[in-house]
Amino acid sequence: MMTSRERVLGALGRQQPDRVPIDFGATPVTGIHVSCVDALRRRFGIWTGPVKVHEPYQMLGHVEPDLQDVLGLDVAGVAPRKTMFGFANCDWKEWRMPDGLEVLVPAGFVTSTDDQGAILIYPEGDSTAPASGRMPSDGYFFDAIVRQHPIVDSALDPEDNLEEFGAVTAEDIQYILGAVGDARSTGRAVIANFGGTAFGDIALVPAPFLKYPKGIRDVAEWYMSTTSRRDYIHRVFSRQAEIALENLALIHAAIGNSIEAVFVCGTDFGTQTSSFCSVNTFRNLYFPYYKRVNDWIHAHTSWQCFKHSCGSVEKFIPSFLEAGFDILNPVQCSATGMAADELKAKYGDRLTFWGGGVDTQQVLPFGTPEEVRAQVLERCRTFGPGGGFVFNSIHNVQARTPVANILAMLNAVREYNGQPNLS
Amino acid sequence: MADLYDAILNGDAKAARAAAEEALAAGADPQELLQQKMVPAMDEVGRRFECEDYFVPELLLAARAMKSALEPIRPLMARRGDEPAGRVVIGTVKGDLHDIGKNIVASMLEGGGFEVTDLGSDVTPEKFVAAIQDKNADLVCLSALLTVTMPSMKTIIDTLKTAGVRDRVKVLVGGAPVTQKFAEQIGADGYGESAVSAVALARRMMIPA
Repeated sequence: MMTSRERVLGALGRQQPDRVPIDFGATPVTGIHVSCVDALRRRFGIWTGPVKVHEPYQMLGHVEPDLQDVLGLDVAGVAPRKTMFGFANCDWKEWRMPDGLEVLVPAGFVTSTDDQGAILIYPEGDSTAPASGRMPSDGYFFDAIVRQHPIVDSALDPEDNLEEFGAVTAEDIQYILGAVGDARSTGRAVIANFGGTAFGDIALVPAPFLKYPKGIRDVAEWYMSTTSRRDYIHRVFSRQAEIALENLALIHAAIGNSIEAVFVCGTDFGTQTSSFCSVNTFRNLYFPYYKRVNDWIHAHTSWQCFKHSCGSVEKFIPSFLEAGFDILNPVQCSATGMAADELKAKYGDRLTFWGGGVDTQQVLPFGTPEEVRAQVLERCRTFGPGGGFVFNSIHNVQARTPVANILAMLNAVREYNGQPNLS
Repeated sequence: MADLYDAILNGDAKAARAAAEEALAAGADPQELLQQKMVPAMDEVGRRFECEDYFVPELLLAARAMKSALEPIRPLMARRGDEPAGRVVIGTVKGDLHDIGKNIVASMLEGGGFEVTDLGSDVTPEKFVAAIQDKNADLVCLSALLTVTMPSMKTIIDTLKTAGVRDRVKVLVGGAPVTQKFAEQIGADGYGESAVSAVALARRMMIPA
């Protein structure tokens, strides 16, 4: 039997592994909402107290090694030192979700309540700065609060949109070394998210981690700027790429080839039925920078490059491959042109599908366990043969997803893999 | 001076506003400007979006140009008592803060000649009821991006029934996870797959049965 790392390496090398490897919780786009992690821990009798929220923006729960063992997961993750709200994951304290669930959050998770009962969260835990995130009074996630100064085109300076892309510090390197060591010690394959290599990720544009963001921070304004201020965006991306390469060199000097994959980019290019831009725009505005980053990684490391993009992105895949991406996530098969069998037939010899396992918009949260099982088996039969497949749901497991459906999903993968059901 | 139609199509807000002001100053009829320049411009924007010549950035730019041009036109129309193509109340449902898709739909509806009351995001069922009564709405558009907030759409429809206003309005739903099947399940009158299809749907809904 292969080890988890061998299994994932087999899949990434598009060689048939002994069984389909599984990831849950290793990246901010393959995670599980904290409420579902809590429910899983209770279901398997390993609940020892409130669950840590390791990604506070989407309120993802930490999938600890004991739960990884129980669920048979094959991948461990390395998160950036600081979260989406700019504080580190340390000094845990109890906090109550709007629905009453007790969870653990870091000391920097500082909140207040607005006049509508919504929860406001502050960058770097500093409540004297304007709040940068808001969770509705009956919500399960935060969304960024846009803090946009009036834009004067003649005064726009690319440095204003580069504040978050600084050089890695000695403290960062120490953290990365420790986190990679911890992940590796689980015996699982490791995927690391160092940050700084996503160009124009719309979730990061409002900079909820900065106290006083400058530049273009409004989401709609940013989208419009990709057309109306393209030179400015090029200048931001160009400098960001330079910083990223310097940082990757420092990180690689510290950790070497002790990770299997790197989370390069979460910029979404697809919508449910179309895309945010044309292939031509992608090739003009994004492609050169991704290629620089991925080319450096391939020239200097053994890491594989992970690209996340929701939605209908089939038409971009040839460009993703040419830009040096090895792995596509979340493989949103319900989007236009994203049929699993067609993707596997067309790109399966060059691309690893990390996701695509089950739909999280309809089937997993609202379907029956039998419907979940049927879709998971179908996807394993499609994506599994010949490797090139790491099982994950299509994006994070959302809040309120029934535990019975999560179990049905995991047991269906086990059924495909010839393993007994989880007990 | 750019033509109002071209200024909207090119997403040039300053030029669109200037063109509208100049046309009004020259004695143009505001309703004619809307119907002969702006609605056709937004229809063309929609057509280009449908055939993937325009994308979200171009849609946003055109919508902003259209809103900018509407500013000097709308008060004149209101003063004359011109009837809109329909009265729409729109919002992102309770628990959901995502408003870009909803904003695009609202702008496209405005560009289609509708009077739009945008309630914002995280909107309670009660606010929808109050706005329907206050604005004498013909259509209610509900948006959701999150799977966890899709059930709020059903709650809103139930609240409209309880408040006795369900039969006065058509309820249209949309948003990434929403489907035609879901719309039918919760008793909505229509589902818009995109901002462009939402405008076409809204127009159909205004045709008396």
